[in-house]
Order: sequence, then structure tokens, then C-alpha cells
Amino acid sequence: MNLQIDFRSTGRVLSLGLVLPLALLLLWEVAATNNWIDTLFYPAPTTIVDNLWGHLSDGRLLEDSQVTFKRLLLGFVLGAVPGILFGLVAGMTPLIRALLYPLASGLYVVPRIALLPLVLVAFSIGDPARIFMVAFGVFFLTFFSALSAAEQVDRTHVDIARSFGANYQHVVRSVIVPGSAPTVFSGLRVAMGVGLIVIISVEFLASNDGLGAFIWRRYQIFDFASMYTGIVTVTVLGVFVTVALLGAEKALLPWRR
Amino acid sequence: MTTFVRDQLTAESRAANAVEVRGLSLRYPGSGGVLALDDINLEIVEGSFHAIIGPSGCGKSTLLKVLTGLVPATAGEWSIADGSRPAYVPQGNSCFPWLTAEDNVAYGLWVKGKPKRQRREAARRLLASLGLQDFARCYPHQLSEGMRQRVAIARAFAVDAPVLVMDEPLSALDFQTRIHVQGELLQLWMDRRTTVIYVTHDIDEALTLADYVTVLSERPGHVLQTMEVPFSRPRSYRDVRNRPGYTEAFARLLYLLEEGRHS
Repeated sequence: MNLQIDFRSTGRVLSLGLVLPLALLLLWEVAATNNWIDTLFYPAPTTIVDNLWGHLSDGRLLEDSQVTFKRLLLGFVLGAVPGILFGLVAGMTPLIRALLYPLASGLYVVPRIALLPLVLVAFSIGDPARIFMVAFGVFFLTFFSALSAAEQVDRTHVDIARSFGANYQHVVRSVIVPGSAPTVFSGLRVAMGVGLIVIISVEFLASNDGLGAFIWRRYQIFDFASMYTGIVTVTVLGVFVTVALLGAEKALLPWRR
Repeated sequence: MTTFVRDQLTAESRAANAVEVRGLSLRYPGSGGVLALDDINLEIVEGSFHAIIGPSGCGKSTLLKVLTGLVPATAGEWSIADGSRPAYVPQGNSCFPWLTAEDNVAYGLWVKGKPKRQRREAARRLLASLGLQDFARCYPHQLSEGMRQRVAIARAFAVDAPVLVMDEPLSALDFQTRIHVQGELLQLWMDRRTTVIYVTHDIDEALTLADYVTVLSERPGHVLQTMEVPFSRPRSYRDVRNRPGYTEAFARLLYLLEEGRHS
């Protein structure tokens, strides 16, 4: 009971959760300044902060962040919207489920990045190819989460709606969509994570701009401090989009406990 | 067997039946499908509170689902006042978690396309009569189990259907909450005199609430007997037990339940 009360206070959870990362950073700093580790590959956190500051002031890092964010967001929306729609429809309609499920399951197991050469052939190098890669990964995750969400909607709720004379449209709007929403949202969070992995990987291999390219280029020229700056920035971007999704979920589903 | 009480009824109360069920049977589909309901015959007097009791698995819930049109029967026929659709309170927690108490209560009116203002007024009125006026904007997870059941009951009353069917709406509640909500349900019903079909497995509850009690046998469920509850109204859980004839009525229903189990 005590524990429960403690963990309801967001501030306390945050501060408790910060203990371990801060301790690790401190250990890293001490290890670097005492040359226990090779500072060429593992520069001290304070060096990385300096480096980050430098890149922020010359503006290039922000530009790369914006490029990556734009690709991620576009790919996410282009993948998630049809993913949710097809998933919900397939979850409600056994015929469509039977039609789509085998193909979707087959494509789902193909590692996303393995398709990059094919996509580059189809779209040629450029943003459409990169955005498509993200959308493709996001689509399947949201499709499957929406499908199982719609299938798992509480039958009792559907029965009640029907007992009040609800038609198909009423049931979809007042039961299937809100009943699926929590699962759809957790699918979206996972999909956003995968989307970020995909866009960074694609930028490693097939891009001159964006955070992936930023990291890869610094790695190739042994500018490890800058490489870490890129990694930190990607992490911040990841945290930002995750928090934004959580915020959207809280605002859209106020009925969740 | 159903005619046991019906023959003793006055001509006046015999005049109108809100629900009539004739030879209703239901066999679940598939080879060797289980026979769930076997030749059910029932007459539910208009404006009465009619309890149905029976051993678990006797098809009580299934019978209600047939009457609400959720499950098709295999044979037989039934009619409901004005060809209307009964309002339904299913077993367990049935509130929509994504709607506030008020919107839950107003749900049936929303389906009917009633304007927002009218929905809100009706919901507020019902919530107030159940002592939930301060919880109109709460979501179900913010309410206690007892409050949620009251919301589910209010939701059924809100549509002003001529017939209400309730499937053990209070069975999940603790004893004290249950008799409290029983009292509120009785009050709500006394004010409206809607026909209620009320499934329960609790003899005390049936004797507290109902005008008639129909006992179903073990699966496949068929009607063993319908008994008129001899206690005048108003009633409450507490005072019904002190009425003359209570012990006999209880014993009789218990005997029928036992008999139904072994038949």
C-alpha cells in the first residue's frame, strides 16, 4: 500500500529513476578523466556536452534533427492511419481478416531493413523511399495491434449496444473504436519506436542528411564525441515522440485509470 | 405447470401480458449441440416484477438473451408488448468504461437519436433518484461496484422500454450494498411500474423484489412452476422475512430448486 502511494507521485518515480543513470554517468566521467578508458572512443560526458553545445550553436544538428523528425512523422502517419483502419476492419470482419491475415503475417516477419535495396530500386534514393520504409514498418505493427484490439472488444458491450437497438455504425463508433483505443495506442508507441529505428538505419545507409547520416559520418571520421552527440539527439527525439504519444493518449482517453 | 398460479389470478390482472413465451427451445448449433432451453412457456403480467430463479447453467441468461434478440431461438415463439425491444441489464460490470456515468445512462437515448439536452436531463434525473447526482461526470473506474450497477440499471430505465430484463444485476455486490441497491431498484420500479424480468439465483432477493417467481429446472431449462409472491408492497429485504408465509414461500422455492436439480 505504501509502495503504491509512493509510485503514484510522478515526481518521486522520476527522481528515483534518475539515480541509476546519474550514477552511471558519474562513473563514466570519473573513468574518462582518469584515463581508465580510451577517451578517443569513450569521451567523458562533459566532453560530449561541450560537443553537443557546439553543434547546437552552428545549427547543423537542429537541421538534421528536423529532417529526421519530418521523415519519421510522415512515415508514421502514412503507416499508422491505414494500419489502424485495415486492422479494425479485419478485426471486425472475419472475411477480410481471412483475406489479409496470411499476407500480412508473411510480410510482417521480413526484417524491415532487408527491404531497403528493393525500396531503393522502386523509389530511387530520396525521401519517398525513406518515408516508405518507416511507413512500411509502422503499418504492420499498427495493423496487428488494431486487429487484435477489435477482436478483443468485450462482447458484453457489443450486446448491450445491440440490445438498445444500435446499428452497425453505432456499434463501431460507440463500442469498437473506444474499446480498441487503448490497445491501438500501445501499438502506436511500439510502432513509433520501430519507426525511429528504421529511419536511423535507413539514414545510415542511404542518406546524406538526418541524424542517422550525422552519426554515421562522424563514426567514419573517428569524431566520436560528435557521434555521441548524434546518439544523444536521437534519444531525445525518441523520448519526445514517446511523451507526445503518451500525452495524446491521456488527452484522448480520459477514461483510462 | 405454469398454469398453477395463473388460474388463481383475478380476471383483472389476467387481462394484459407484457411478455408471452410459447414453446421456446434453444439448441446450440453444431452436431450434438446442447439443448439449453426446453419448451419454455411463460406469461409475464404487464407492470409486474417477475423473478426467474434456477440452478446455475439452467439457461436463465440465455432466455434473457433470446428475449432481447441477442440470441436466436431454435423453436417456439414469443411476443413482447407493442413489439418493443426490452431494455437489458446484463450480468457483471457492463458500464462502458469510456463513457461517464451520465453518458452511460443516456446511451440508449443516444442510439435512438434523442437530442443532447434531453439525454442529459433524463440521465441526471435517474442518477439523482439513485443518489448518484454528484457522480454524473465520473468514469466507471472512479465508481464503486455498487455505483456501477446502479448506473447499468439506470441505463436500462432511461429508455422507458415497456419491459426490462435484468440478469443477476446485483450478484457481484457485497451483502450490504446488495440490499441497499435492492431498495433503490424497488423504489425506481414502484415509481414507474415497468414490467421487469429479473434473473437471480437468490431466493431472498426474488421474494423481496418480485410479484411472481418462476423456477427453472437444471439444463435443459424448462419451467417447473410459477409462484405468486404473497407479500403486499411496499417491501424491503428486512421486513419481508418477518411476513407471515415467508418461511413457507422460501421452503417451497428451495424445494423446487432442489427438485429441478434432480429431475
